[in-house]
Amino acid sequence: MNKPKLIISSAYAATVTVIFVVVITIWAELSVPLKDWLKNFSGHHWTSKSLLSVLMFAAATLILYVLPYQHSDDRLRKTLGLLLMFAILGTIITTLFFTGHHFRLF
Amino acid sequence: MYNYFMDLVAILQSKPLLVGLHLGFAILGIDAFLWLLGQLKDNGGSPKSRIATALVGVVAFIVSWLAGGYYYVVYYGTLVRPVIKSSTAPWVHNIIMETKEHIFLFIVPLAMTVLFITLLSEEEMERLKLHRLTLWLSGTIALLGLLIGAMGFTISAAARWGAII
Repeated sequence: MNKPKLIISSAYAATVTVIFVVVITIWAELSVPLKDWLKNFSGHHWTSKSLLSVLMFAAATLILYVLPYQHSDDRLRKTLGLLLMFAILGTIITTLFFTGHHFRLF
Repeated sequence: MYNYFMDLVAILQSKPLLVGLHLGFAILGIDAFLWLLGQLKDNGGSPKSRIATALVGVVAFIVSWLAGGYYYVVYYGTLVRPVIKSSTAPWVHNIIMETKEHIFLFIVPLAMTVLFITLLSEEEMERLKLHRLTLWLSGTIALLGLLIGAMGFTISAAARWGAII
């Protein structure tokens, strides 16, 4: 097993998953058809987001791991830094969005 | 035998147990990543114990996700949400609950990534200079878990008082 490549793949996949959750959450709050589609997909919009996020993380990790690309030590650190940054940013953006949404700013 | 099984299923589906499992396993997950943080900071524990610690954390967060998710989908929307929405603090659902249920989805991918990092040997960790980043990632997972826990407490309090006031 190529452990550094597995970590890079997982970190990229986790970053993509965080972005996906934030984007689909905000989009679904602003678009009734999308929220309805998410509800119909599994019976509940949150269950659909959960399932899709798990599928996205697993698929992206697997695909990135089997893709033939060269990785460097520097890239490994940058990828983990990126994940950390997006996890914090995702938390802040989600909180700010729902705060603004409650106060009908958007 | 069938009756015992159905009794067990009924107990597992009960609201207090689901909330307890959600909270208990989340605490276990937070503790595991705090423990890992300490192991990494002090260069303590064998590589195998670090893997075991991260694995316990990942499994605990997954169980917490399943128990909390079942409670949220089956009971929260019909029993708790209306109480909070009609109380003097509807913002608790609109801001706190909505944020909590979505940022929870960040935790398992983050925790899985840290679990993969623990597969590296001490020499590889040194060569790749990953100590500091792994500390930050483990700390972020624990902090996110604590934040979600505080949000859960606020939601429970709002439901409790919303039903009275």
